[in-house]
Amino acid sequence: MSDTRKINLLKELLLHEDRDDIALLQAKITELESIIERQEQLAARVNPIIDEKLEQYSADIPEKLGPTITKSLKNEIANSKDAVVDALYPIIGKMIKKYIQQEFKLLSDKINSQLQKSFSLKNWTRKFKSKVSGINEENFIIQELAKTEIQEIFIIEKNSGILKANFSKTNTIDKEVLSAMLTAIKSFVEDAFKTGNDSLESIEYGLYKIHIQNFNSYYFAVVVHGVFDSAYEAKLEYELLTFAEKNLAKGPQKNISIKLTEHFNNDNL
Amino acid sequence: MITSKKIVLLGHFGVGKTSIIRKFVTNEFSSDYKVTIGVHILKKEVNITEDEQVSLLIWDLEGTDNIDLINKAYLMGTNAFIYVFDISRPVTYSNLIENITKLKKMFSNTKIKVVGNKIDLLDGELNHDNHPELIDGEIIYSSAKTGTNIEELFDELTQELIC
Repeated sequence: MSDTRKINLLKELLLHEDRDDIALLQAKITELESIIERQEQLAARVNPIIDEKLEQYSADIPEKLGPTITKSLKNEIANSKDAVVDALYPIIGKMIKKYIQQEFKLLSDKINSQLQKSFSLKNWTRKFKSKVSGINEENFIIQELAKTEIQEIFIIEKNSGILKANFSKTNTIDKEVLSAMLTAIKSFVEDAFKTGNDSLESIEYGLYKIHIQNFNSYYFAVVVHGVFDSAYEAKLEYELLTFAEKNLAKGPQKNISIKLTEHFNNDNL
Repeated sequence: MITSKKIVLLGHFGVGKTSIIRKFVTNEFSSDYKVTIGVHILKKEVNITEDEQVSLLIWDLEGTDNIDLINKAYLMGTNAFIYVFDISRPVTYSNLIENITKLKKMFSNTKIKVVGNKIDLLDGELNHDNHPELIDGEIIYSSAKTGTNIEELFDELTQELIC
């Protein structure tokens, strides 16, 4: 027997059991490979379906879960009001605080400015009134600051929008163009709503209000700053009627602006 | 002495009403077209003599091919109308006579000027094919771009208004 054959025989005898193990392992590997391959095949088929379903589900969430979420949130808020208030209070509180601080600062600046004008006649009158009445001088200043004041009065021809007379405490934009634009806005609103004989009676912007009072061929537009309550409105309407009765019986005349200034310059409403 | 006069510009969309006003009031022209919505009002004070001034309040209305659709309140109290059409677009003067007739019927005492604008776009001379004819009255041909006849239009109108 040759050496090679002897070695092979020896190998056969020694590795017989290992060969069985290797064969078993190979079988298991083949099975695993098959499982993985099948899973990939399955995934290739199933994944698009799952993706589509997930997409559909995501799209349906607001509709399907929306009411449930809203209801749950409402219940949660109703059941834990204190917790919600606790959460929101610091945020809203800070905003309100900041706003009030800013407003107080403005008011304080205005009061200081009024007090600094210590040599004005108005100031001495206020001091005197404060002494006599026993009311704090600052209270009088606050009253003055909150006072309703006429800034401008326009008498405008109704049809053309041409300015006939004007009393103004400010030098703002061109008053003729403003009168024409006011008339255009007024015409637009009145035409848009087509409610018969109704007409635009006021326009508000910020702390200003434009009071509009109509007459036959012209109208008054009065720009007022401050608190414009119904009592003030009634007084203003009365004054405008009085002025019109006295001075506009024949329509707006040439010197009407002077009369308008004389009548309304003192804010004696 | 200052007197105020209301002038209203009418006409189809894009005929150059706003450009005419801008050229007259601020001596500016822009080829960028911005459509006018509602109404825009501008003013120009014109000296007639040393002591006499006229304040022209010029109402630039949004374009429309049918003047019946215009808010009548915008037209009330007008001292003069300027009806503008675009010489390069026949559709803008196809109903010119009809609209002018309606205006004259509604506002018999109000002056009306008819303006054919954009003559800078015209190739060659005016002829019957490229401009309309009025039964009475004349057409002023202008260009807001070059300024042709813009000052003349308002000067003539102002003179007529103060007479």
